[in-house]
Amino acid sequence: MTEYGAARRPDHLSAVPAPPADVGELLRATARGDEAAFARLYDLVAPRVYGLIRRVLRDPAQAEEVAQEVLVEVWRTAARYDPARGSATAWVFTIAHRRAVDRVRAEQASADRTMKVGVASVETPYDEVVDEVSGRLERQQVRHCMDDLTELQRQAVTLAYYQGHSYREVADLLGTPLPTVKTRMRDGLIRLRDCLGVEVTA
Amino acid sequence: MTSAEVHSLVGAYALDAVDDLERAAFERHMAGCAACRNELDELRETAARMADSTWSVPPPGLRTEVMAAIGRTRQLPPADLGGQGAGDRPSRWRRYTVAAAAAVVLAAGTGATVYAIQDQRVRDQSAIATAARQYEARTRDILSAPDVVFRTSPMRGGGKVTVASSASRDAGVVLLGADVAPAGDRAFQLWAIRGNTPTTAGVLAAGEASAVRIVDGLPGSDGLGVTLEPAGGSATPTQPLVAQVPLV
Repeated sequence: MTEYGAARRPDHLSAVPAPPADVGELLRATARGDEAAFARLYDLVAPRVYGLIRRVLRDPAQAEEVAQEVLVEVWRTAARYDPARGSATAWVFTIAHRRAVDRVRAEQASADRTMKVGVASVETPYDEVVDEVSGRLERQQVRHCMDDLTELQRQAVTLAYYQGHSYREVADLLGTPLPTVKTRMRDGLIRLRDCLGVEVTA
Repeated sequence: MTSAEVHSLVGAYALDAVDDLERAAFERHMAGCAACRNELDELRETAARMADSTWSVPPPGLRTEVMAAIGRTRQLPPADLGGQGAGDRPSRWRRYTVAAAAAVVLAAGTGATVYAIQDQRVRDQSAIATAARQYEARTRDILSAPDVVFRTSPMRGGGKVTVASSASRDAGVVLLGADVAPAGDRAFQLWAIRGNTPTTAGVLAAGEASAVRIVDGLPGSDGLGVTLEPAGGSATPTQPLVAQVPLV
């Protein structure tokens, strides 16, 4: 399995490593069953995995539960990561976002999301530090590029990504026709891609 | 839906903003279109970068729970068709591996075009963005170190200073937030204090009221002090300290 795994991922296809440690290397080692590598991977990605899920779900307890599912899923499916299709970090967050959105949709189906959100305001002492950090770092880069989008692009992209809304819900929320919302999501992401300098398989 | 209609879902798909039927239609569409896959990969990579700003310290017990759970979770082999990672079918991953070489050639062309049409403004923003990302990655690394210790002290005049210090990273992160900004010709200066000796640990910009700063070697210090100095900083701290965070 190890040799096969290595053979199907030529070095020149490796995703750009995220400094200071290489998430891609750790993920490949994880795929070989290396628990120590997974522990290091955890330290690198868990704060953003938890943060993202929490931002979408708003409920710290549910976020913890979903974050655990996601991180175990990363361990379980590590061998399925294909560096030709993007960075290891993005692969992890794609899983995390999808799981968070799935949970939102399930919650909506059971119609108790509003109640859960109401309970979500209980903060742990950690959150003080957290909010300080994320509040400031946020402004640095993604926020920086986000400012470059048109208002409608920004709203369409953030309502979907950070709040887990479908594009139909976004169209309703913004009072904008469906095709326009689809287009703004696409050209908004393209503009963000160019600002952030995102490239895959470059 | 026509092919063009399906393809127009690429942004919504990358944001997980489609329903199950649309998702299935889009995935069928993509299976036969290498260029579409490349666009999707880039947009998904971009969407994932939006997670950069969602940093949040996980509950302390999560690591233990996850490590325990992986101990009893069997891993999937690379080409197994038996299971499924969230959002990605194994069959797709395998097909993409086969198509990877073709996709790389396409991607190289696409990337070059994209760069050619980028204007200078976007290029500048990218450079700033890259530098910020590296600083941010290091900040996150320190803040998520297993041995990180947080300490907070109030600031004279309102606000607070939090120091996250990690011996294993031999560095600390200082989060300073003052309720009142210094006058335009004054600046906050940070001091690593060892015994009775203060050493400068960085000066904020004049008039800056809040900042996140990495201080190398901070765990060897007894405390972190903050003073108000003339813009550009001073060689020795001006008393009284605006804030003092003990580190031992």
